Amino acid sequence: MLRNAIRKDLLLNGKQFWGLIPWFAWAAYALGQEHMGAMTAVSGALIGALMTVSICAREDKFHATAFLASLPVARRTFVQARYLLALVVGAVSMAGVAAMSAVLPWSVQSVAEAFEPKTLLLGAAVAGVSVAMLMPLAIRFGLLGVIGFFAVLQVAGIALLVLPVALGMKDVLNGLFRAAERGFIGLHGALDQPGTLLQTAAIVAMAVWVSFQVSVFLVERQDL
Amino acid sequence: MSADYALELHGVCKRYRGFRLDDVSFSLPRGYIGGLIGPNGSGKTTIIKLIMNLARHEAGEIRVFGLDNRRDEVAVRSRIGFVYDVPGFWDDQTLALHRRALGTFYPRWSDETFNRLASEFGLPLDRKFKTLSAGMKTKFALAMALSHEADLLIMDEPTAGLDPVFRRELLQRLSALLQDEGKSILFSTHITSDLERVADFITFVQNGRIAFSMPRHDLFDAWAIVKGDAAVLARLDPATVRGARQRGTGAEALVSDAASARRALGASALVERPRLDDVMVLMEGEAAHAA
Repeated sequence: MLRNAIRKDLLLNGKQFWGLIPWFAWAAYALGQEHMGAMTAVSGALIGALMTVSICAREDKFHATAFLASLPVARRTFVQARYLLALVVGAVSMAGVAAMSAVLPWSVQSVAEAFEPKTLLLGAAVAGVSVAMLMPLAIRFGLLGVIGFFAVLQVAGIALLVLPVALGMKDVLNGLFRAAERGFIGLHGALDQPGTLLQTAAIVAMAVWVSFQVSVFLVERQDL
Repeated sequence: MSADYALELHGVCKRYRGFRLDDVSFSLPRGYIGGLIGPNGSGKTTIIKLIMNLARHEAGEIRVFGLDNRRDEVAVRSRIGFVYDVPGFWDDQTLALHRRALGTFYPRWSDETFNRLASEFGLPLDRKFKTLSAGMKTKFALAMALSHEADLLIMDEPTAGLDPVFRRELLQRLSALLQDEGKSILFSTHITSDLERVADFITFVQNGRIAFSMPRHDLFDAWAIVKGDAAVLARLDPATVRGARQRGTGAEALVSDAASARRALGASALVERPRLDDVMVLMEGEAAHAA
């Protein structure tokens, strides 16, 4: 039944995945930029996973949720399918970027770097944690949950950009961005250490597992 | 509780803010058509949602073919064909793609049956769902529900968006399903004439409670509408009066014992076989009066 649930999502939402094309166009450009490093491939995992969650939430817009819940499938199975599909599409997007880095003549990224364990794990971590945060909202509140999630991110981002400038704290803002960048690159570098790699993998797996349990809890108690 | 029944509800309760479904009990034997009637907001759709486990009941028990509708939900649903009052499918996908994506969930799905029904209903499989009229959408939902050899069809207001010709055709098809294949059907409707035509059992839902649930023939044979002067109607046994209203210079009452009304009133009042809409109107008037 899990296979049928994934197949259903792919068949009925398949066209929507063409929406990844513009992002891949940007990735083609970014692969020519020295400073991006392996982050283009990592962001591929993020975009692929988040886009899958958003696309699958469309059934809420079509009021198809009640019909789906009337099919001879446990609600938990549909949730499993969602998580699996999001993570698989994230992985495929990341692999797509790696493949582009091998093919595009202007690419300054090496395929080997994209497939390093630390890069793969960073991609999995970014995609996994993002899916873990977004999926319960998408499951409980449908498309509204997805829109709300991105709206909050947008508002927070704008506030982060505008407020420090308005308050005359532009240096603080720059410091924040630099710290975030350093933290991200630092984590990527630290993943060379087997201990850090295992710890990160365990934390991500735990986050996804907890998120999955929350989603199942919500969906099984939801009155349609 | 027995597997001889397609459906059994016993003491089912569900609370929402401002509405309570209370102690709902009724059953539908295998091979019969049951109709749920009642005014808007009385709880018909909620009952159907509870049976389908789309909403969770807080007390009581629901069994479908002897199986618990929660514990055995996958097995139960594989035997149910379901038509929701507002059919929801993927607007931007064709009917053929829906068949391909959704049919595989049912162990007994038949593409052949679906294609035959689509042809009979005039459904264009290459059209997107959003381009269909409301009636066509219901027909598509029906085709989906009838294509996996369901033993029980549950339909919430299935005839609401349909033209009279197709409505009549649908009802004939439902009756044929029973005769040919021994299926059971439960459907809710506001169109009481549909139930008078095909239902074997009538369940009347009123303010979240079951006002009555009985075989249609028992209802029409035992119950009656009594018309006459208000003074004459006052001689009726109050225990049998289920509703009454003033009408012009006279009055009319719904009684649950036609024979005793005839004995009590003789030729001084008119005792008629009731119609379902009379039953609904008079019982609803009584409930409003009591409130």
